[in-house]
Amino acid sequence: MSGILTSYLTLAAILFCIGLYGALSKRNAVIVLLSIELMLAAVSLNLIAFAKYGMNPSITGQIFSLFIITVAAAEAAVGVALLIAYFRNKGSSDVTDMDDLKQ
Amino acid sequence: MLGNIPILSLLLFSPLLGIVVLLFMPANKGNWIKKAAIAASLLPLLLALWLFASMDHDHQGFQFEEQALWVEIPLDGSASSMQGYAEYAYQFYYHLGVDGMSASLLLLTALLTFLAAMAAVHVKKRWKAFYIWLFILEIGMLGVFMARDLFLFFVCFELTLVPAYFLISIWGMSERVKTANRFLIYNGIGSAFMLFAFILLIHACGFHVVEQGQQQFAYYSGSLDIVMSHVFEGSGQSASLVLTEGLKTAIILLLLIAFGIKLPLFPFHTWMLHVHKEAPVPVVMLHAGVMLKMGAYGIIRFIVFLFPDRVSEMSLLIAVLGLINLLYGAVLAFVQTEFRLLLAYASISHMGIVMLGLASFNASGLTGALFQLISHGLISALLFLIIGSIYERTGTTSIDQLGGLAKPMPFISGMLLAAGLALLGLPGMSGFVGEFLAFAGLFKPYPLLAVAAALGIILTAAYVLRGIMALTHGPLRGAAGKIRDARFVEAVPMIVLMAFILLLGVYPAVLGDLFQISLYQIVTQIGG
Amino acid sequence: MESVYSPYAWLILLFPFVAFVLLIAFGRQLHRLSPWIGTFAAFASFVIAALLFGERIAYDVPDYSWAEFRWLNAGEASFQFGFEVNALTAFMLFIVALVALAVNVYSAGYMKSDERLSAFYCYLALFSFAMLGLVLSENLLQLFIFWELVGVSSFLLIGFWFVKPEAKAAAKKAFIITRIGDVALFIAIWVLFWRMPGHGLGFTSIHNAFHTNVISAEAASWIALLIFIGAMGKSAQFPLFTWLPDAMTGPTPISALIHAATMVAAGVFLVARTYDVFLAAPAVLDAVLWIGIITALLAAVIAAVQTDVKRVLAFSTVSQLGFMMTALGVGTWAAYASGLFHLHTHAFFKALLFLGAGSIIHVLGEQDIGRINGAGHTMRITKWTFAVGALALSGLFPFAGFWSKEAILAEVWNRSVTLFAVSIVLTALTAFYMSRLYFYLFSKNRSRQTSSSAKESPWTMTIPMIGLAVLSVTAGLIHMPHLPWLGEWLTGLSFDTDLHVMIMIASNLSALIGIGIGYLLYGRTGQQAEDAASSSRWRRLIYHQFYIDDIYAWLFVKPLRGAGLLLRWFDRVMISGAVHGTAALISAVGRGAARLQHGQLQGYGLVFLIGAVILAAILFMVAGRSYFHVG
Repeated sequence: MSGILTSYLTLAAILFCIGLYGALSKRNAVIVLLSIELMLAAVSLNLIAFAKYGMNPSITGQIFSLFIITVAAAEAAVGVALLIAYFRNKGSSDVTDMDDLKQ
Repeated sequence: MLGNIPILSLLLFSPLLGIVVLLFMPANKGNWIKKAAIAASLLPLLLALWLFASMDHDHQGFQFEEQALWVEIPLDGSASSMQGYAEYAYQFYYHLGVDGMSASLLLLTALLTFLAAMAAVHVKKRWKAFYIWLFILEIGMLGVFMARDLFLFFVCFELTLVPAYFLISIWGMSERVKTANRFLIYNGIGSAFMLFAFILLIHACGFHVVEQGQQQFAYYSGSLDIVMSHVFEGSGQSASLVLTEGLKTAIILLLLIAFGIKLPLFPFHTWMLHVHKEAPVPVVMLHAGVMLKMGAYGIIRFIVFLFPDRVSEMSLLIAVLGLINLLYGAVLAFVQTEFRLLLAYASISHMGIVMLGLASFNASGLTGALFQLISHGLISALLFLIIGSIYERTGTTSIDQLGGLAKPMPFISGMLLAAGLALLGLPGMSGFVGEFLAFAGLFKPYPLLAVAAALGIILTAAYVLRGIMALTHGPLRGAAGKIRDARFVEAVPMIVLMAFILLLGVYPAVLGDLFQISLYQIVTQIGG
Repeated sequence: MESVYSPYAWLILLFPFVAFVLLIAFGRQLHRLSPWIGTFAAFASFVIAALLFGERIAYDVPDYSWAEFRWLNAGEASFQFGFEVNALTAFMLFIVALVALAVNVYSAGYMKSDERLSAFYCYLALFSFAMLGLVLSENLLQLFIFWELVGVSSFLLIGFWFVKPEAKAAAKKAFIITRIGDVALFIAIWVLFWRMPGHGLGFTSIHNAFHTNVISAEAASWIALLIFIGAMGKSAQFPLFTWLPDAMTGPTPISALIHAATMVAAGVFLVARTYDVFLAAPAVLDAVLWIGIITALLAAVIAAVQTDVKRVLAFSTVSQLGFMMTALGVGTWAAYASGLFHLHTHAFFKALLFLGAGSIIHVLGEQDIGRINGAGHTMRITKWTFAVGALALSGLFPFAGFWSKEAILAEVWNRSVTLFAVSIVLTALTAFYMSRLYFYLFSKNRSRQTSSSAKESPWTMTIPMIGLAVLSVTAGLIHMPHLPWLGEWLTGLSFDTDLHVMIMIASNLSALIGIGIGYLLYGRTGQQAEDAASSSRWRRLIYHQFYIDDIYAWLFVKPLRGAGLLLRWFDRVMISGAVHGTAALISAVGRGAARLQHGQLQGYGLVFLIGAVILAAILFMVAGRSYFHVG
């Protein structure tokens, strides 16, 4: 394995962990959404790194990351829309308040 | 006479016609829906009558069989023992067939559904959904009695639970939801036991190899024919389970619990009390009349017929269980103040007689048990029908609050009294035949138990008369204002049921001969 | 020669059955017609019964038996039903049909104003059908079926006035207590079923089996004992007699027909029908003898202090049935004949007495003899026919009861002197309570204050009474010492019955003494009516039948209720408790598990993460590094 790939993967792992940490621990829903974006970005970075420096380099990985970016954008849009609707309804954007399914 | 008509399939799916018709009717036309449903429920009854009339009385074994492959589940054929077979799979058949016992129960089912549809005039809301559920229930019940494949039997058995659940939980009395939940949970547990036992059975006895040309196909099948032949002759092939005596006992006990809950056997009976008390009248008619019999049918079909030798060794256990049921139900019925509960305990008591007849393990006892099944189906349906009519007029069925009803409603009271006499085994009515044969049969192997059971006859007389005379005799109570006697649509089912009860009591050979062909095999097996 | 009428004996059942069906289906429409329908059916039955009986008297025809109706096959056994005409059944048919006819006619007057007239005749027809069927039955199982049916019609008729709580209680009691006996008979059938060759339950095959000693003596004893317990229930023998007095709450014609003449005699008939079994079990015969005499004496004592007309007669019936059982218990064919002979005469005079009592009740509307207090003396026909009945029951020469009692006494004398002495006391007691009853009802001396305006009952009621009165005088002439025609005809044996002058004198004398004491105590002017409630302790004890009912209540009914309540508690608390406990446990587990379900998405995510890490670690350790293709 080439050294350059390892550094890409390490960076992606760090990004993913930051995102995961944010998604699991931040109370503000906007930050949680941003953290999820971060995790997706880490995955995209992995895909591109493998596509360029992996064992069987091919274009597929880059196409996939394009898809992911599109999906991430859509997901962020839906997420923010839900968040705004929720905020209007409950007056809060704190994820710890979002436990309506418990009942 | 029937030629190539698939009469059993026709019968099984004939309630679908009613469902389809009802689906296209507007939901608010209650009267039209009722009439259409009653008319539609006549179709299965006619088919069942036709089937019953064309049964061959000399043919031992099953008749009108139909068989088609239904479900095939491939198995991992790479296991070492299964090398060399071209195919390796579970096979479940759509396999129908009737013997005398099934045919009688099918007729009972169709008849009671028809009468229940008539009795549903008391239903006050959502008639369309009610009848649709009723017809689905009928399909399930019919399927139980004609299925010849373990898997099909199980599916039909479960199919009855769903409509019964909704029928109880939507149209029942005040505690209907709780009752329905209890019903579902108990029966679900019973089904789990049954499923486990069936899986054991299929693995121990369902394995068979089919040769086609050069190739060999290995299957685990739920077909009762295959299972039965393997139980009796031993499978001899490399099934994954060997049917040892211990396994037999385990299967018997599992099935006994499964069907015992349905029957119900003491101490699994409490759910059934609530159903008797809370369910709407047509459903209780079917429940007491047919669904309890499914438990007894299961015991006969899958325990007694499959493992006669083992069961005859365990007959003392069955007899004691039956005796406990009989006396426990009778004593408790004696102290009830709610008539529906009295009838519920009476059902428990009478199912005890079925068990006693089975325990006797001779032709008269077994015939008695079968008779008791049919007879109690008719009698309990009639009693609940009458109680429903009384409840509609007085708003209560409590013994403490009613009395002297013979004056304002002589017909209903007379029917109630006659049905009560049938329940306590009056000769000339169907209850007597079953009681006589079951007890006489039991007397040979266990004379003392039979004498103890005879005590139950006296107790039965005591609680039946106590309950019924409290309603019909004495000064008039509990009937505010003017109450009418039975309407035509109420009277017809009562008269029909009573006619059947009398027919079976006066000329029981109509059923007895059919039972003989069912029992022939088992009786010859145990040497008379 | 072959019998001409016997093959048509089943017709005798058909008429009452058709009447029953007609009345149950169209009762309301046929209200006024129902007495005609019932009476016509009874008449038709009577004609056939008379033809059967007459043919058998006139010619020597063989027994006729037909059993081709296949009721049921059950594996090893086939139950065939049919009917059998022989001397005993023809004789019994005649008695039943005759009394039934009389009662049908009588009821047309007695029940005239009852709004449920058609129901009454309906039940009456059912009873006639069942009773005649019982007599005609070819086998024991068939007899049992009709046996239960007569029980039911009796139950229905006792509870006929269903609004009265005491009618309800009496009907229930009658049904349940006779049911105890019935269960014994039922068990006897099971024993026979398994012991008889070929599972045959026919009376002919029973007869044959016991003559060829196929059945062991022990089994025979059991069977006989069980059959006798069955007969005890139906024939109200000690200690199962308590239902019969209570059964008097039914309409009086019913008391005459069912609870005096026919149904209660069915127990005696049953013992007679299966007499071969009893002859094979001498110990049981002794039991029959002693139970019979105890019942007879006890009931006679109780009858002497009752204050209700019908209860006096009811206890008298119990007593006389006991006397018949005593005769059967002696265990010779001559005694057998005398017992049946007494059944025959008793049927007539006891029915007559009940009809007479009914006539009084109908006119005066009063059953308490203290309050009637002689008011019946203006009802001449009732008075004289009642007197005939009373004298016949007392056993005075030359009334019917004399001959039958004398026949039994002669047999008892041959058996044991003690028993004979007891029977003589019984005769005196019988005469005593009958004279007491007669004077209370009809004594002009008693009724100074009642300027009696009582009119006689209508002709529909008096004619049956007159007819039965004639029979109560003449019916005894068919079986006399030196001329035991009935006995020889019934049994086919020839008896050499001597004329026991001493016995005749003794029985007449004791009867006269009984009547004399009755007159002295109750027949003279200015007697006060007795009051059972405020009298001596002994009298109360006897009046309340030695409190046997209360003993039953304490011994059986209360324990049963107690057990029921205990079990109900058990059912509610233990079984439902166990179920609820299980359910509670499950829901507690569920609630615990639900706490994990806190609704915090991030928490779920964390759990997921931890789970994924753990799974990966496990996989790593189990499958090794190679699985990941690392390195």
